[in-house]
Amino acid sequence: MGENRPEDQKLNLSNALRILHNAGREDPRVPGESPDEQLQRIIDALCDLSIHDGLTGLVNATFFHVVLTREIERSLRTRRICGLMVLDIDHFKAVNDTHGHATGDAVIQAVAAELKSCLRSMDTAARIGGEEFAVILPECAPEDAIHAAMRIHSVLNPVTVKLEAGSLKLTTSAGLVWTSPDLFVSSIVLLSEADQEMYRAKRTGRGRLCYKHADSTMISRQERSALMTLGREDRFHGW
Amino acid sequence: MAGEKQKARRIAVISGKGGVGKSVITANIAAALSSIGRRILIVDADLGLANLDIILGVAPPFTIQDILYKGRPLEEVLFSTNKGFDLMPAGSGLPEGTMFTQALAGNVESILASLEDRYDVILFDAGAGVGDVVLFFANLAHEILLVVTPEPTSLMDGYASIKILHQVYGRNEFLLLVNQADPDCSRRIGASIAGHLQSVISRYLDSDEHGPVRIELIGAIPEDPAVPRAVMRRQLLAESCPGAPAAFLMNQVADFLDQKFL
Repeated sequence: MGENRPEDQKLNLSNALRILHNAGREDPRVPGESPDEQLQRIIDALCDLSIHDGLTGLVNATFFHVVLTREIERSLRTRRICGLMVLDIDHFKAVNDTHGHATGDAVIQAVAAELKSCLRSMDTAARIGGEEFAVILPECAPEDAIHAAMRIHSVLNPVTVKLEAGSLKLTTSAGLVWTSPDLFVSSIVLLSEADQEMYRAKRTGRGRLCYKHADSTMISRQERSALMTLGREDRFHGW
Repeated sequence: MAGEKQKARRIAVISGKGGVGKSVITANIAAALSSIGRRILIVDADLGLANLDIILGVAPPFTIQDILYKGRPLEEVLFSTNKGFDLMPAGSGLPEGTMFTQALAGNVESILASLEDRYDVILFDAGAGVGDVVLFFANLAHEILLVVTPEPTSLMDGYASIKILHQVYGRNEFLLLVNQADPDCSRRIGASIAGHLQSVISRYLDSDEHGPVRIELIGAIPEDPAVPRAVMRRQLLAESCPGAPAAFLMNQVADFLDQKFL
């Protein structure tokens, strides 16, 4: 019981290849390689499939949270900040409604391609929703994160997509936040903060980039000073 | 309704800042509640740095990670302490390369749901900070018990925890327990901290869409040398020094929880 028989291995191999085939991936094996090397290629291809978005080739939403959590933890260890940028294509629904989903997909692919072209080697770009993307900007200072986000934002504004008749020019709204080296922020909270900034960019005219320090919304300067007055008012604390 | 089986009340003990005595308080409240006949389970919800086994002086053979990653049956992992309550132990850290994903959260939720009929109270001893795991357990709980000390950093981190749980998850009610207060005026310190925290909360958090936030002070535990002594001996206060002032206060907190929620 529990033995891994050779025929089971063959079966597993064919299942793995079927998964790759169903996802539109080619057989990753190279003729002439040993069975172990071929198996490794299949495992690598499956891992790659599990973390990437099929339409754009960017990291998918599930793996994005894994990377973001890891980078937030790393930023606390290295005492450098981790930036998070969220981007959303403006008026995307109108594109889908007017030109159809195939054009919508082409727009998403075009934006993803531009996004990939302007990343630093350590950045991670993900597609986290229909027309929503995120970029993790690790290991930087706040000004680096702002600079990187401004560069990305300028590349994406506008993105031109050629159609059979004419072309579409689309803008993208973006929000940027960054962590504090002293305060652990959950990936959920950081993403929610970045989303709020992105919506602020939408509300204030679209095609814009809005940003803030995530810590500033966790506890504002006013809240901090209000909390600290307890020490001044109450001698019993010995603050 | 008479005869209807009551499901367990889930209480998350959180703190924001680490080292405020959360695990010691959880363990002692569990012992006090079990001494009055309640069926208690503590879930070591600090999946990163589990330490309840050390505080309780026990060595459980398996952890919740054995259920989640190795398919070990729940019954083998649930650990019966010799202190009147059960423990769901946690290992120190998730396996390398894994994160607290939604699927994992769903599995933890199913495990807890399967235990609801067996206990009157399930206490979550959460980790420090406002990370995904802490927020998950806090949001899963019926009651959130925030432990703070009079230190400004503790109060600040406690406030941050309330703010996030309120703004992200819409939680409006929090129980507050002040720990390590000056023994000469612990009650006054507790009331002062609760009053001040409430006033800052009312000023900065109440105006948003989720409605007013209310904190309820349920006790102020005095700084007591019996506590570190008990921890060094890996015993509960009820075992090592049942007459200590901190032990008395923790019993009072347990009585409060019993009367209010059970």
